[in-house]
This record gives sequence, C-alpha cells and structure tokens, in this order.
Amino acid sequence: MRKLTVMDTSALILKIKRYNPEKDPPRWTETFNVETKKGMNLLEALLRIQDEQDPTLSFRYSCRGAVCGSCAMKVNGKLVLACRTPVEGLLGETTLIEPLPFFPVIRDLIVDMSLFFEHYRGIEPYLHGKPIPSDCEYMMMESERKEIDPYIQCILCGICFGVCPAFGRDAQFLGPAILAKAYRFLRDPRDRREKEILNGVNDHRGVWGCNTVFQCVKACPKEVPPTHAIVKMRGRILRYRFTSLFSRFLSMSRRIGSR
Amino acid sequence: MEFLTHDILIIGGGLAGLRAAIEAQKAGRDVAILSKVHPLRSHSVAAQGGINSAFDNIPVPTNDSWENHSFDTIKGSDYLADQDAVEVMCREGIERVIEMEHWGTLFSRTEDGRIAQRPFGGSGFPRTCYAADRTSHNLLHVLYEQVVGLRIPVYEEWHALSLVVDEGQCIGVLAFPLFEERTVPIRAEATILATGGYGRIYLRSTNAIINTGKGCYLAYQVGVPLEDMEFVQFHPTSLFGTNILITEGARGEGGYLVNVKGERYMERHAPHLMELGPRDIVARATQREIDEGRGFEGQYVHLDLRHLGRGKIMDHLPGIRQIAMDFAGIDPILNPIPIQPAQHYSMGGIPTNVDGETPLPGLYAAGECACVSVHGANRLGGNSLLETLVFGARAGRKAASNVKRKKRESNPLAFQKQSEAFQSCLHELSSRQEGEPCFRLRDELKTLMTDQVGIFRRESDLLSAKEKIRELKERFGRIGLKQKNLDFNNEWIQYLELEGMLHVAEVITEGALTRKESRGSHFRTDYPDRDDEHWLRHTLAYKTTEGARLEYKEVTITNYPPKERTY
Ligand SMILES: Cc1cc2nc3c(=O)[nH]c(=O)nc-3n(C[C@H](O)[C@H](O)[C@H](O)COP(=O)(O)OP(=O)(O)OC[C@H]3O[C@@H](n4cnc5c(N)ncnc54)[C@H](O)[C@@H]3O)c2cc1C
Ligand code: SF4
Ligand code: FES
Repeated sequence: MRKLTVMDTSALILKIKRYNPEKDPPRWTETFNVETKKGMNLLEALLRIQDEQDPTLSFRYSCRGAVCGSCAMKVNGKLVLACRTPVEGLLGETTLIEPLPFFPVIRDLIVDMSLFFEHYRGIEPYLHGKPIPSDCEYMMMESERKEIDPYIQCILCGICFGVCPAFGRDAQFLGPAILAKAYRFLRDPRDRREKEILNGVNDHRGVWGCNTVFQCVKACPKEVPPTHAIVKMRGRILRYRFTSLFSRFLSMSRRIGSR
Repeated sequence: MEFLTHDILIIGGGLAGLRAAIEAQKAGRDVAILSKVHPLRSHSVAAQGGINSAFDNIPVPTNDSWENHSFDTIKGSDYLADQDAVEVMCREGIERVIEMEHWGTLFSRTEDGRIAQRPFGGSGFPRTCYAADRTSHNLLHVLYEQVVGLRIPVYEEWHALSLVVDEGQCIGVLAFPLFEERTVPIRAEATILATGGYGRIYLRSTNAIINTGKGCYLAYQVGVPLEDMEFVQFHPTSLFGTNILITEGARGEGGYLVNVKGERYMERHAPHLMELGPRDIVARATQREIDEGRGFEGQYVHLDLRHLGRGKIMDHLPGIRQIAMDFAGIDPILNPIPIQPAQHYSMGGIPTNVDGETPLPGLYAAGECACVSVHGANRLGGNSLLETLVFGARAGRKAASNVKRKKRESNPLAFQKQSEAFQSCLHELSSRQEGEPCFRLRDELKTLMTDQVGIFRRESDLLSAKEKIRELKERFGRIGLKQKNLDFNNEWIQYLELEGMLHVAEVITEGALTRKESRGSHFRTDYPDRDDEHWLRHTLAYKTTEGARLEYKEVTITNYPPKERTY
C-alpha cells in the first residue's frame, strides 16, 4: 500500500470509535489511512478497511445507494449515511467517525435499533383501510398523493432520532420518523382512523414532547419533514379540543336555555 | 441440541419472502422469516421503475389485457419462458397489485384518480404502475407493515448456513445470528428460499452489495439443479462510477440516449421503439457504441433528460435526480447523466413449478432466486416485482396447504452432523492465518465475470473464464481467516458468500459456453443467431465434484409459437 504522509491532501484519515465488550478496555479509537479513488464514498472506504486492514471493523450496509437506511453514522459530528457521503470533502484532515448517538452500541458502528422499531410497531403502522370491493383500487387524486409523498420517503435510518433532543432526553419519546409515519396514515384518505391516530400521539411521548427545533428536518437524508407533521397533528388535536369544548359549551347552554 | 421449530421458515425478507410469509400466516400456519439484514434493508427496496399489470388505466387506441401482457413477456423472453407460468403471472398479477394498493402502496395516479401507468421497454402498452420512481421502496415498506400487523416473527440479521436434508426431504436449516457465538438448527416442515439475485458476482452491477446468490447455492449444494443461469440481464443505464441504477422509467418518460457525436444511436439499433427497445437490445447497442469509440472518455454515454423540463423531472423522476446529484454531482435538469451498462438481474435460479415447489420435497423458492420460468432469456422491466408478489403468494399458499397434510418427526442427527462440520471448518480456516484473504479472490472473480462472461460472449473468453474459476476454487481451499469466533466475523461471512459465488459463476460460465446460440440476454459473438432447433430448451446444472453437469428440459409452449423477435 502507498505510504501516506501528513501533508498528503489526497489521503483519507479515518479515526473510528471502536467498541467490543469482550476487550479491555472495551472502548477505544483507532486511526486508519485509506487510499482513495475518484468518486469514492465513505462506505466504500470503510469496506476497504474491512478488507485490507482490519476484518473485525463492524458496520451495517446493503444498498450503497442511500435507499436501504443501513449505514447511518456520525461523521465529524454530523449524522449522515456513509454511502451518500463522498470522501472528497474529507481529505487531508482527520475525520472522526462515531456510531449513531442515543442508541446502545452493539459493536463498533453497529447500534441496537430495537427501541426504534418498538416505537414503530407502537403506532400500528399499517393502513387500516376503509371497506372497498377487492377488485378495484381506491380512487385517489394526485394532489392527495403529493400531500403524503414527502412522508413516504422515510427509509427508517434513525438519523433523525440521533439529532433529536427530545429523544435524547427521554427514550420513550416516539421520535421524529415515527410521528411522521403516524401523520402519513392520518393524511391517507384510504385510512379509516383519525381519532385513534391522534389519541396515540396526544401526550408528551408523542407530539407534545417535540421541542420544534427542526433538527430532524435539517438532518434527514431523504428530505422528510417530521416537524411539519408534528405541528400539523398538534393543530388537529387543538382543533378537536376546541370543537369538543365548544360543543360541550353549546349543549350546556342549550340545556340551560331549555330550563 | 436446542431447536427452533416452525411450520414454515422463509429465508429472505425482500418482496418475495414477505409476500410468502403473509400468505402462509393467513392460512393459519406458524411462520417465521429469517434474513441476513433487516427486511427493509433488502435489495427489493431499491427497485425504482414500477410493476406491470394490465389494468388498462391509460387511454390508448386499443385495450390492454393480461393476454397482451403475456404475449409481450413471452416475446421479450425470446420464447424461452414457460408460457403457462407467464399466463399465471399476468392474470393473477392484477389481483396482487390491487391488493398492494389496498394495503397502502402510494401509487402515482391518473387524472381520474386511478393507478397511473407508464410505458416500459418491450411492452406494447403503458402498463407499468409506479409510485413516482420509488415504486419498490413503497411496496417493500407496505409489505413489511403488513408483516408487523400480522405479528410474524423475523430472525433479523441471521445468516442461513445450509439446508438440512434427511431421507430426500428438506427438514429445515442451520443458521446463525450474526452477532452471537452459536449456530442454531431450525426445524421446518417447509422452507421457502426467497434470497434474491446474484448480481454481485459481477464487478459492475446495479444490485445491493449483499446480493451474492447464496440462496441459489444453498439449493445447489444439496443437489437441486440451477436453471438457465447463463441468462444474466445487463441494464443499459447504470450511473457511471457507482453503477447505481437509473431506471428505465427515465426513458419511459422520454429520455434520450446520446453518444459522443451527439447521435441518438438507438435509431440504428431499434428504429421503431428507439430508447424503449427491450433491455438486452439497448444494453448491447450501448456497449457497442462505447466499444467502437463513440462513448465519452471511452467508458460511458449520455442519458439526456433536459428536454423533459424541470416540472416533469421533479414530478416523475425525483429519485433519479437525487441519485444523479448525490452520486455523480450532476443535476439532470441542467446536464445529461453519464451512464454505462451493468449487470442487473438474474433470470436463472432454482427451478420451481407455478406453486414454488422445487424438485426437493419440503423446499420452495420464489422471487429472483427462483426460475419459474417467466423471464426466459430476458426479463421485461416491471415484471420481476410482479413475479415476487404472484409467486411469493403462491409459494406461501402451497407450502401452507402441504404442511397440514403431514407432520413428521425430523431427525436431530442430520442437524447435529452439519453443525459439527461447520465448527470444524471454521476451526481449520482460522488455523491457517497466513492463507490468502477472501477479498482478493472475490475481486478477481468479479472482474473476470464482467470481462469474459458479460454482455458479449465468445468461446475463447468463456474457456479461459472456466479455467480461471477452477483455479480460484483451488485457491479458495487455501484461504485463511484471522478470527475464529462466530460472532461479528466478517471474514467468515465473506468466506461463506464467496464459496457460493464461485459455484454460481461456474454454472453461468458452463451454461454460456455450452449454449451455442444467441438468445435474449445471452449473446455469443461467434453464434449470433437464435437456434430454436437445438436450443429452445432450459439448461439445468447439477453440482458434481468436477464442476457443473448440464442437462436440458423442454420449454412449455401454450398459445404463442416462437417467432422472430424484432422491435
Ligand atoms: C436497482 C434495481 C432496480 C430494479 N427496478 C425494478 C423495477 O422497476 N421493476 C421490476 O419489476 N423489477 C426491478 N428490479 C428487480 C427487482 O428489484 C428484484 O428482482 C426483486 O426486488 C427481488 O426481490 P426478492 O424478494 O426476490 O429478493 P431481495 O429483495 O433481494 O431479497 C433477498 C432477501 O434474502 C435475504 N438473504 C439472502 N441470502 C441470505 C442468507 N444466506 N441468509 C439469510 N438471508 C438471506 C436478504 O437478506 C434479503 O432479505 C430492480 C432491480 C435493481 C437491481
Ligand atoms: S425521517 Fe429521515 S432521518 Fe428520520 S428515519 Fe426517516 S429517512 Fe431517516
Ligand atoms: S448502504 Fe443503504 S443507505 Fe447506505
């Protein structure tokens, strides 16, 4: 392999946070120099290290095209998909690579996402369809589809959880991606639920736990806007409260009036 | 020895595996899915363009029907598809796609609110249903949502090591959780392989990195033949560099293919359909342009979308735009996309009937790892997603109905023996720390396959490839591993995958060498014509100690006698 010097601006120097509970100490950082080629991305660089330097380095990957959601990690303090990160911008200086924050680390850059998927299952994330004959599709307008479309893009990579102060504070907070998912079903004209969905998110674990700091919107690699979904669901809940207060008031005043 | 037991075990969490699981669970069986990645990370999530179904939602002068769809599929297959299977797919596909819509797939819509359809290569009608250009992301997430709703258990990040066979019956698998230090025997009355394609034995491939063809090898290893493996589809438009797919939908929407001289070269190769010619023809034309010096930098051509305008690109091809920007730094609204052909799809696989049954009782297969055969020598775009749903469901249903008929006690010894064999293999490998590392062999294999068993094939190349694969197999026997533990052992996984890759490559090469004709995706420069008299038949490859032994079987022809395939 090519010898690298500190001055070499085409050198990729990766300082990786490692973890292996069977080792002593279990946590350490390790620096690797990687030879780069034009158009290379960070995932390719990590695979190269695994092949040529250290087969024990562990991380998840599958599609290498930013669609499967496997390879989220922290790079120089920013949460990214490794496969969507060109190494070009990282050359010359040392790049720090860490696992996705707030999730328990299993090994090196692999984190335990079970809580994420527990929250996912918690909102019953499947269409509860209105009745329809089995041989024809629901009619839906393009405008209605486009309304939901941004929320469908989510690849469940977990990045938004890793930047979310609310989730960092309280692991019971449902989290941006999951609330975006709830909104996706709420807005789907084919889904018969409305109150159920809103009830499910109407507490501090749900929409009221969010700090509306838009960190998730900024970090999401697929341009999903979870905070927008959260704000819209808050609006609906408030409207419900208002109308139910109002109707209670009405019926009360009617009763008073009829006395 | 501790066993896990299920009526039906499905290996693979892509579209085919999930659809099979849903069907089997709804039939009241105890079902589990096992996958080496979380199901949502399966390769299926990447398919972009769409799924074919003859809904006839788009007004054109004549009506579309499942019979038309069958005809296009059979013609596209260069008449190698089994016509009864194609008819099943095209007929039942309509139900399967509507069901996906009912489960929540967010298909793009026509003006009157129905599922939108676009033209795709090799079809006479706008028949491809789509959800912008992220169709399968949508489909896979929806199927997974159903799986969650039905509470079907998933062994996530488990690797299937081998099938366990006893008295001529598949009785389960030996598997291991990637993060644990143990192998686990799983007993199942029925095992369904839904392990996807083997694209990554090629250097340039549009497939996910995990698509190594291991599932095909699992079957091949226990004596099940592999069918029509020499038919490997090359896609004309993969992004130069990473080979990420640029969907055919981009041409369906009106994109042009242009060479360095500024010519729309498809005029010379398929004057009627132009860019919408079938994949094999467009891929060969594109490779030829590059080989004959009409490419850019000798390596790629341009896919030009600029004339479609910002609005159409943003509405119909937002994913493609994102890919071009993220992975090539190019905005297709402003600049043409550099593209080159790459391996894309595996037409061949584990032979099954229309109910997913393989020649081995107790073993089923569906999806890209199977060969029903509905794609024959060349798959039409939009047909493989359909295949995963139709035959996934059928395999699940058949497995469920077979299971209730008989319950047998399986033999724990068969599991025990295999488990011990794995332990000692790993032990031996790790005692050879100085042996050659896996990745070097893997990279040599990939380069070899792209260079010598690729789009254009000829005898001398194929012979040398065969020789080289034999040499690689020998060197494989001398591989050494640094780690001897089971958990997190990336080298060990690589080793297991590479073993399958070498065998699959050998089968492809042997099939390609022996088939002295050109049909669909299999193009021999030394035998450029189709030869129905000798070669209108399926290849079956059996594993022997000397390599692959080939046999042949008849193609099923129902209503569409073979004709010349012109576009
Ligand atoms: C980029 C791209 C775009 C495409 N676009 C289209 C399109 O527009 N229309 C169309 O019809 N088709 C398209 N295709 C083809 C289509 O996507 C695939 O054929 C289809 O998704 C295959 O699905 P599957 O369920 O058979 O396999 P996969 O989705 O590949 O799933 C395989 C599963 O098996 C598991 N697995 C494999 N080996 C093991 C093992 N040893 N142990 C445990 N688990 C294992 C994996 O984890 C995975 O879950 C496209 C293909 C590509 C490459
Ligand atoms: S919303 Fe965005 S960041 Fe969050 S999981 Fe989905 S894709 Fe990832
Ligand atoms: S590998 Fe799939 S998102 Fe990065």
